[in-house]
Amino acid sequence: MSVVLPAVLLLLWEIASRLALVPPRYFPAPTTIGWVLVDRLATGDLGAALLVTLARLGLAFVLAAVPGVLLGLLMGIARPVRAALEPYVAFVFPVPKIALLPFLLIILGVGEPAFVLTGAASAFFQIVISTQAGVRTMDPRLLEVGRNYGAHGSRLFWKVILPAALPAIFTGLRLGLGLALIALIAVEFIAAKSGLGHLVYRHWQMLSTPEMYAAFALVGALGLAVTRGLRALQARVLGWQEESF
Amino acid sequence: MRTLGSWLAEHSIAIVSPLVLLAAWEWSSGRGVLREAFFPRPSTVAVHLAALAADGTLWSHLTTTLIRIGCAFALAAVLGVVLGLAMGLWRGLREGLDPVLAVIYPIPSILFLPLVGFLVPPGEIALIVTTAVTSFFLIAFTTTHGVRQIDRVVLEAALHYGARGWRLFTAVLLPGSLPSIFTGLRLGLGFALIVVVAVEIVSSSRGLGALLWLSWQILKVEDMYATFFVIALVGAVLYYGLASLQRRLLPWVQDAADR
Repeated sequence: MSVVLPAVLLLLWEIASRLALVPPRYFPAPTTIGWVLVDRLATGDLGAALLVTLARLGLAFVLAAVPGVLLGLLMGIARPVRAALEPYVAFVFPVPKIALLPFLLIILGVGEPAFVLTGAASAFFQIVISTQAGVRTMDPRLLEVGRNYGAHGSRLFWKVILPAALPAIFTGLRLGLGLALIALIAVEFIAAKSGLGHLVYRHWQMLSTPEMYAAFALVGALGLAVTRGLRALQARVLGWQEESF
Repeated sequence: MRTLGSWLAEHSIAIVSPLVLLAAWEWSSGRGVLREAFFPRPSTVAVHLAALAADGTLWSHLTTTLIRIGCAFALAAVLGVVLGLAMGLWRGLREGLDPVLAVIYPIPSILFLPLVGFLVPPGEIALIVTTAVTSFFLIAFTTTHGVRQIDRVVLEAALHYGARGWRLFTAVLLPGSLPSIFTGLRLGLGFALIVVVAVEIVSSSRGLGALLWLSWQILKVEDMYATFFVIALVGAVLYYGLASLQRRLLPWVQDAADR
């Protein structure tokens, strides 16, 4: 990755802001934002908000991943289960999960469970769909070879089906985590009174733009860490698998 | 040709299962097993949906949302494909922009709302631009990927046969990257729907997202369910409609997003 162009862009921004070529009130200099970021991350609200968002993300991810993978495997293996549940998954999957928020808010009340579950719902359907697709699109020859060598039942599952579906499961988990982050940030922006999403909203309302951009940059870093980190992990753990993008 | 009977037999569970669920919901909500305040009966929701449709409320919100999605998608598609093609063709541009896009892309689009509000007039334009942001990056990415995965052999053959410039572009590069571009457009449209609902919740009094949020705030639970149903319907039509369009237009392509 080349760093020349980003550096040039940041420098131009810095100069434009310092010389007030762009209104510094709306576009504070990158160094100002950087200073706020460093300052608030260690001692101020930024570090605390990051921890809140991370905790919500972790919880939402676990709540989505465990039942999502199990249900996906079940739907991939058992035809009747798939036939019965596919209509719901297919219907809810393309829905923006943020639309579930008001329902969770009236059923569970305004609070953490509703926020976290909205994020979890966002990841859950992606994980189910990827997992069951992984089981269903596995090479049928693998199944036959396994059977011919006498693998049945749980042995067939652990030795053949699960390893074959693993790359798809991992892809589902990776995409799911990204979707959960998107949904959670939106929830924080809209309804929660804490977390990075709320911080951007609050500093926007107060027009304290350096703080706003600092929180914004932190969300970007978090998103980058989540997507790039998991992709690197996938490449390392499932090294034999090629992935398109 | 399959007969209707065999089709029904094959899909019987898929048809029966939602019907059973709706019936069970209707029954348990009517008997107080489920709290009707939170889980109104499906028949009540249907009545409210019909009422919303009859007095025109639903249509005006629906068309508002659809127009916003359409504008945002058109904006994202044109700019995204152009940038993606340019990044696919010029290595310097690709390597320069890669780190910038890598940082910006994972930021949830709703957060761009304040930023966009500083750059363009707030209101409808800011709303549409915000909706376009994530789709734009997604389309640019998939288009770049599409150009880059074109077979070297095909490219060299075209060069040897004297294809250059515009001809090379229309005869080789564009058709070669079309499957990727289409996948990007499809995913981008899905994201536009996600974002427009969130943005409407935050900053608009019109559109399906606004109707949903307003119904929650004044606790019109039946209207909430009705609106959710319409949003889900829009999502399903966009998603599955485009998937079948892709299969029809580009039947030789195995869809990358289905794997």
